[in-house]
Amino acid sequence: MQPKSAVRWFAKCGFSAGLLLLACGVATAWFGNGPQLPSTTTRDGTLITLNRYAREPIPDVVLVGSSLTFRLKEEYFTTHRLRNLALAGGSPVTGLEVVASQPRLPKIILVETNVLSRSTDAALVARYSRADNAKPLFFRPIRTAVAAYEDRLHAPLNHAQVSSSLRQLLEQPPSDFDNRIYVDRALEQWNAEDPTGAVQANVVRIEQLIPEIERKGARVLLFELPCSAQLEASRSAKITREIVRTAFPRPDRWLHIDYARGELRWADGVHLDQRSAVIITQSIDRALASLPGSP
Amino acid sequence: MTFTSWQFGAFVAIIFAVYYLPPCKSLQVQLLVVGSLFFYGYGQPELLPLLAVAVLGTYLFLILALRNRPLWLPIGIGFNLLLLAFFKYKFLFIGPRSTGATGLAPIDFLLQLPLPIGISFFVFHNISLLVDLTGKRNDPPDLKSVFLYIIFFPQLVSGPITRAEMFMPQIQPKYFSDIPFVEAAKWILSGFFFKLYVANNLNEMTSYMDFPLYETLRTQDRWLLVFLYSYQIYADFFGYSAIAIGLALLFGYRLPINFNLPYISVSFSEFWTRWHISLSSWLRTYLYVPLGGNRHGELRTYLNLMIVMGLGGLWHGAGLGFLLWGLLHGALLVIERPFLARLALIDSAAFRATRVGFVFVCVTMLWIFFKLPNFDHAISYLSGMFTSSTNPNPPKLFYNLACLYSLPVMIQHLVSRSRFEKTLGGTEPYLYGLMAALMYLEAGPETSFIYFQF
Repeated sequence: MQPKSAVRWFAKCGFSAGLLLLACGVATAWFGNGPQLPSTTTRDGTLITLNRYAREPIPDVVLVGSSLTFRLKEEYFTTHRLRNLALAGGSPVTGLEVVASQPRLPKIILVETNVLSRSTDAALVARYSRADNAKPLFFRPIRTAVAAYEDRLHAPLNHAQVSSSLRQLLEQPPSDFDNRIYVDRALEQWNAEDPTGAVQANVVRIEQLIPEIERKGARVLLFELPCSAQLEASRSAKITREIVRTAFPRPDRWLHIDYARGELRWADGVHLDQRSAVIITQSIDRALASLPGSP
Repeated sequence: MTFTSWQFGAFVAIIFAVYYLPPCKSLQVQLLVVGSLFFYGYGQPELLPLLAVAVLGTYLFLILALRNRPLWLPIGIGFNLLLLAFFKYKFLFIGPRSTGATGLAPIDFLLQLPLPIGISFFVFHNISLLVDLTGKRNDPPDLKSVFLYIIFFPQLVSGPITRAEMFMPQIQPKYFSDIPFVEAAKWILSGFFFKLYVANNLNEMTSYMDFPLYETLRTQDRWLLVFLYSYQIYADFFGYSAIAIGLALLFGYRLPINFNLPYISVSFSEFWTRWHISLSSWLRTYLYVPLGGNRHGELRTYLNLMIVMGLGGLWHGAGLGFLLWGLLHGALLVIERPFLARLALIDSAAFRATRVGFVFVCVTMLWIFFKLPNFDHAISYLSGMFTSSTNPNPPKLFYNLACLYSLPVMIQHLVSRSRFEKTLGGTEPYLYGLMAALMYLEAGPETSFIYFQF
């Protein structure tokens, strides 16, 4: 190829590349990040959750937790302006750090204390603690197109839209799914690990964050989700509970949730199934409503 | 330093800028050797002495074999195979973290060394060097040329495995005016596009094939992910090879083509002339033919095929899964061999399409042993493809995203090249520009090249 034609080739190549980048850059500046991108991984799901929190108005109630709390879908709650920031595969302290770093805080922050053996995701906290967080220069055209399509097909639901189906779900008997294999596997893992060091570090961090948060006018309440009897008796669960209860002995630091334990099921051995998650969200709704000063 | 890191971009830019400077004209080979050593040592400096031992040892055996081939050639090959066997298969016998296994500090130090990146590739280069150059009774090449042939950075880590008789004659002064810039750009852009846009994005989904995540998958998603992995491994390795070929062109060297649309093969023997071509031709030249090839009757041919494919599987890694993968490919080659001539007589597009589909499905299913080298996990995954799943909370996979990220591989394979180029006409540079922008905008999360582990 002659040098001149090679230069022409590169000019055309650069032109089309620049044009597409420019189009995506202008579209990003104009429309912002656009629709939330569909998640294909847990990390994606975490980013979606936090992007949404950073972008939308501050809610009244926020839940932070692990994958256990992640199962409590926002549309199950009757409490208005509630946002679930639980991070599947993450630590409740990561969510608490992110919320605490924002200039404005919700009225109530509920912190799950079941899984405190994971360290805080420092990169995630740093990313969402910056004022310019989650604002890429260009959006991803393919993912955005798919996101728009998926959003159209599966628009987020609110409680009114799902209330009848939730009622039907609660009218059904608890699942009789045989989860023994999953429980045994989880039990093996929960008995094998000694979370003492990690839990102590996380509890210290929560103790530091609570006064910081409450100085800004928010209230922090801890809660513990029910697990199957075998897992609650596991080494990891017992150590975690003991450390947390010792650090936070005052009853008014806790959100007391009541439920009929016999109605609950954990299909995969660890996480509440959908019907059980609805039961727990209803009890959280009741507990929130009974708090002094609640609307 | 991976091909997709900014450090690598800066490294190539510096080497390229110096390479064609008039004062460096006589030092081009030395510059590439030093650059390649820096590239290799950047990630694993402790393994540079091993690389030096491999090259210097091979050079010594080359000199000796040029004087007495029957004696020193087998010893030289044995030296390289021992290196490969020691580093690749030692962890079959000792744990990766075991210390003081023998009580002798130097041996324990060697036992503790990790698998050197690219050892499978540079050992094959060494053997090719010994066999090709001693077969022709040439004068021994100089040491710097030997170094360059073995450790030339575009091909050092994952090939293509270049034969010495093809590479060594190319070692001569290079001129800026001879660089085929557009051809190099097409290879490099295609390579990065296939790696960043296709392979890295598909990897997000196929990570669900890992243990124990696959246990949460629905049956249909297990099937989908196997096919996605088939596209991913092709895009990943084709991408690497294309970048290597493009980079080599910038420095005046032409490396062999490694892939030629493998998923449109009508037979398993054709597949192996289209997939990882440099490895299969190396195995044919240096293993299958010396074993007797097809010259000693049908049974011996079948045995040779099984041996070559079994060893080819083990070359990828020390595991039952890799061995089984190779042997199953060998078995498929053996089974189809008696029917090939008769099948070729059937002239029907539908029949040809059926054969392509059959070969693609079989090859794809066997990739499970690549993705899950643990044999039990592979069998568990495979059996789950034929039973209905019971998990009440399966992960959600976006089929539309899977399709959009796989599309380049499908288009590349299904649209004939001549028709594609005819349709493109003068718009080809614009297409490459769009690919360049897309690989930046839509790049999936960073993951290392799959073949780096081999």
